[in-house]
Amino acid sequence: MVEKLKHIVAHALINLIRAGWGGIASIATIGVSFVIIGIFLLLVLHLNALVAEWKEQFQVSVFLDDRITPTQLEILGKRIQNEAAVKATTFTTKEEALANFRRELKGQESLLEGLGDNPLPASFQLKIREGYQSPDTLKRLSAFLSRLEGVEDVQYGQEWIERISNIVRIMKLLGIIIGSVLTLGSAMIVSNTIRLAVYARATEIEIMRLVGATKAYIRAPFLVEGMLQGSLGALLALGLLFAAYRFVALTFNLTSPLLPTAANRGFLESSMMASLVGGGAMIGALGSSIAVRRFLKM
Amino acid sequence: MIQMFHVYKTFGKDLEALVDVDLHVHKGEFVFLAGSSGAGKSTLLRLTFRDELPTSGQILVNGRNIVRMKSRAVPPLRRTLGIVFQDFKLLRDRTVEENLTLVARVVGMATLEGQRRVEQLLKLVGLSHKAKMPPYKLSGGEQQRVAIARALMNDPLILLADEPTGNLDAELAADVIRLLLEVNERGTTVLVATHDLKLAKEAGRRTVFLKHGRIVEEWS
Repeated sequence: MVEKLKHIVAHALINLIRAGWGGIASIATIGVSFVIIGIFLLLVLHLNALVAEWKEQFQVSVFLDDRITPTQLEILGKRIQNEAAVKATTFTTKEEALANFRRELKGQESLLEGLGDNPLPASFQLKIREGYQSPDTLKRLSAFLSRLEGVEDVQYGQEWIERISNIVRIMKLLGIIIGSVLTLGSAMIVSNTIRLAVYARATEIEIMRLVGATKAYIRAPFLVEGMLQGSLGALLALGLLFAAYRFVALTFNLTSPLLPTAANRGFLESSMMASLVGGGAMIGALGSSIAVRRFLKM
Repeated sequence: MIQMFHVYKTFGKDLEALVDVDLHVHKGEFVFLAGSSGAGKSTLLRLTFRDELPTSGQILVNGRNIVRMKSRAVPPLRRTLGIVFQDFKLLRDRTVEENLTLVARVVGMATLEGQRRVEQLLKLVGLSHKAKMPPYKLSGGEQQRVAIARALMNDPLILLADEPTGNLDAELAADVIRLLLEVNERGTTVLVATHDLKLAKEAGRRTVFLKHGRIVEEWS
């Protein structure tokens, strides 16, 4: 069984080489299509991961008035902790805030030279429980907290979240539309390449037909060829995407929010890559079956 | 073996290729289908291996009604037949041997059995020494013999030949007919379409004459 499979794939490869520019066109088209789809995928994944990461960490910052008294502080702290939505709190003093800021500006501390008094406020960093993380809940919580004594400002990155959610939504929609168009186009190109292959082997096919070969027997090799073109296209795309990804990450010194989760250093997970290759194979199979159905006379 | 009842075949609206054909070929017979070009011989053969369906009428091959047959039953039907064409239809980019093993693979013969059969048949047609050659290096007559060998790979019940000597000169043509007669001796029913009346006459076998799609005469 395995022997037969190797045989079939080997033949498919040989025929692919024989297909010359037609085969290259198919593979390249699918490659480009998948690169585009892959970019959308990566963007959506990263954005989603960013949001998820944000949800992991401190989500609401309650900035305190500089003039707050210790009593007020204590009362405030207790009130905040009593809130059902609040899972945990961390208190940051003015000094700690400045030190953190200084650390983030590593290499550019000179910017802080002319500051004078510490302008940074003390704050409570709140972690929000799972059920309370919707934009509406956060909005209400933030409104409530900002009315408490000693609170200067409440931030929960609302614009940021909404904006990202919108972007993700649009990206997904765009991705699906563009992806569908590209998929169809790719299938058509594979179909054309396979059509040429069918014509080239017309005599052989006719003989097989007359000798009593089943439809499946005659179609199978073409199906495999189509799938091969599709898979190779997808692999090409993955290669290009990966190279580009590393280049961008290195050049702009970005760290990926996917870093702690994915084993592939921030690129797509293996299962996703396998799906892409599988998807390529399916597009190839689709294109091939269209060609075979239309041009293979039985 | 082959039975046709009131078979009509019309192409398009008014091209009547076959008109009210009744034909019975018995097991082990050797029959010539004679007539000029366009008489309907090829059409009749094509109906037999179900490359076409009759416009009306019934056709039985080896007792099976092929008009009512479902399309997935067609491959098994064709495996009981061997077909030879005027233009040989051999693959240029394969050797003589490979042209035969193609059939073995298609019908699922075991490799060893296929090889044995190829050897046997090449011996029968007298071309064992040219097994590894590409067909274009063989003469027309030799190529047709390879085609006949290929048609026999499956040990068919019926051998159909559509103008097998059309591309050959008189001597080679006679060779091919002789080979077909030999095949017939071994038990295969043979049906040969030809426009060469002389050939048919010399062979001295049952000959059915077609003219404008009708059977007009018969020699026994």
